Amino acid sequence: MNKRLLTLFCWLGFLTQAVMAGTPIERSLMVGVGHSSQLDTYLSPLEYKGTHLNLLRETMRQTRWADNRLYFHQLLDGAISMTKSPAENANDLGGRIGYDAGWLYHWQAMSHLCLQGGGLAGVDFGGLYNNRNGNNPVQVRGNLDLSASVGAVWDFRLLKKTCTLQYKADLPIIGGMFSPQYGQSYYEIYQGDNSHNVCFTYPGNALSLRQRVMLDIALGKASLRIGYLNDVRQSHVNEIKAHDICHSFLIGYVKRFSIL
Amino acid sequence: MTRLKTFLALVLTTIVICTACQQGMEYDDSPKANIQALWDIIDKHYCYLSYKQETIGLDWEHIRGEYLQKVNTKMTHEQLFELMCNMLSRLQDGHVNLYAAHDLGHYWNWKEDYPANYDEDLQDDYLGDDYRIAAGIRYRILPDNIGYVVYRSFSNGIGDGNLDEVMYYLRACHGLIVDVRDNGGGVLTYAERLAQRFTNEKRLVGYICHKTGTGHDDFSSPEAEYLEPSKGVRWQKKAVFLTNRSCYSATNTLIRDVKECPLVTVMGDRTGGGGGLPFNSELPNGWSIRFSACPMFDAQMNQIEFGIDPDIPCAMDSSEASQGRDSMIEKARTFLNTK
Repeated sequence: MNKRLLTLFCWLGFLTQAVMAGTPIERSLMVGVGHSSQLDTYLSPLEYKGTHLNLLRETMRQTRWADNRLYFHQLLDGAISMTKSPAENANDLGGRIGYDAGWLYHWQAMSHLCLQGGGLAGVDFGGLYNNRNGNNPVQVRGNLDLSASVGAVWDFRLLKKTCTLQYKADLPIIGGMFSPQYGQSYYEIYQGDNSHNVCFTYPGNALSLRQRVMLDIALGKASLRIGYLNDVRQSHVNEIKAHDICHSFLIGYVKRFSIL
Repeated sequence: MTRLKTFLALVLTTIVICTACQQGMEYDDSPKANIQALWDIIDKHYCYLSYKQETIGLDWEHIRGEYLQKVNTKMTHEQLFELMCNMLSRLQDGHVNLYAAHDLGHYWNWKEDYPANYDEDLQDDYLGDDYRIAAGIRYRILPDNIGYVVYRSFSNGIGDGNLDEVMYYLRACHGLIVDVRDNGGGVLTYAERLAQRFTNEKRLVGYICHKTGTGHDDFSSPEAEYLEPSKGVRWQKKAVFLTNRSCYSATNTLIRDVKECPLVTVMGDRTGGGGGLPFNSELPNGWSIRFSACPMFDAQMNQIEFGIDPDIPCAMDSSEASQGRDSMIEKARTFLNTK
């Protein structure tokens, strides 16, 4: 079974590369800083607030499918956060890394407006450490999901520069996530009791949304990209409520090129 | 430009909708809100509410009304702290603590209401001047060729290498006393590491479960806990574990585990208990609360929250103590010297 899956993935990879040979690639790298509000009732009933740092690497590559309108999209997303309790006498230290990949269909709605729609498959792993807790100091996060992805790209000129304004939103539709049970210790999970630790997620119990608004300003061969990221991740599984709401200012660059 | 405005309005609307999120506790920082928050944390997370209703008549719902009546907005933070500690003391649980910058709220009646059965000076006399120290363990060979090991706190670590050295040094002894009196617990792993030296096979030693929801009786199925034999040097002769009421938490679990080992005899007083694995939470004013979250049971599914009885009860004789003799150690030596 595993051999068949591996062969299937190899063929898919090969096919994807074959239909993308020589097509344009847009790659961006952005760093961000912002504000984060975190709640995880496994660690504390209170919401912690503080600073959030992001790193986003995004690649959009045109394929030859669907009359060259289907794009292969990848997003690598890493973040760390340092937040404080309302009384400011306890800290949460968080970190996570995620990877999403999928296909987006580009529809030229008007001469300067392109709309995008498609799906992404993603994996995300991270954790949150609370420095005041004894036997429940850490919450491990891990999830796999399929997301609907939409976007709009608006081209215009400003001060004789070619500019692009983009909006992108990814909404997880279905997936699974790791979660300890309501009062379960990681000691118990380590001892081997790991039943009910993988939970089915959908917008009814894990309404999350990642939105980005980005402005590209052409500067020679590359473009300067500035943007805003609103990343809302929520879950209510195993009676544990959690959210992580980030608002970040992003800055980076975009390069457009082709590989023959 | 109109399209751009529509586009931005759509973005902002979506952001607002999506930030209507999961909420935690919504309390202000008033004395009343803090005591309500404390009551809620215990009500939703504490694992012994039903058990203590049966055994000690705890009525947590009644306690809420009783203590909310006593709160007023003019209370100082010290008065509020005292009120909260009084409320928590009704749980009769040494694992329940309230941490504030000025004080630590505690319940120690589980040991203070009983004879100490322990004299540190006498213990030091038995150890003498030439005892050895291996991490958290102090040990020596008594004149009648009995090994004597003292482990005062499982907050002090012990490694498998340390235990190998201790067991190897004492290998020629014909019996071993492990004195864990006044050991109030610490890290469960160290207690387990010590217990693993007294079994040659994997043994069922107890069960653990956890809450699956906010209800007082929302528990998972008990999960069996096994004691695996150590891969290092293991004790193969008779051993006595000495206990008193101050054996709590991880030490209570150690006694639960070694009671299942055939060569071990537990002598002394009933242990203090502390059968729940504690979790932490916090109040809006920043005070921290620790409470029992996951109940543990012995191999027969009995609760160990209020302690474990020894195999052979014995107490410290004050007249012998005045002559420099620890009657509990002496009784253990006699037991081990008897063929």
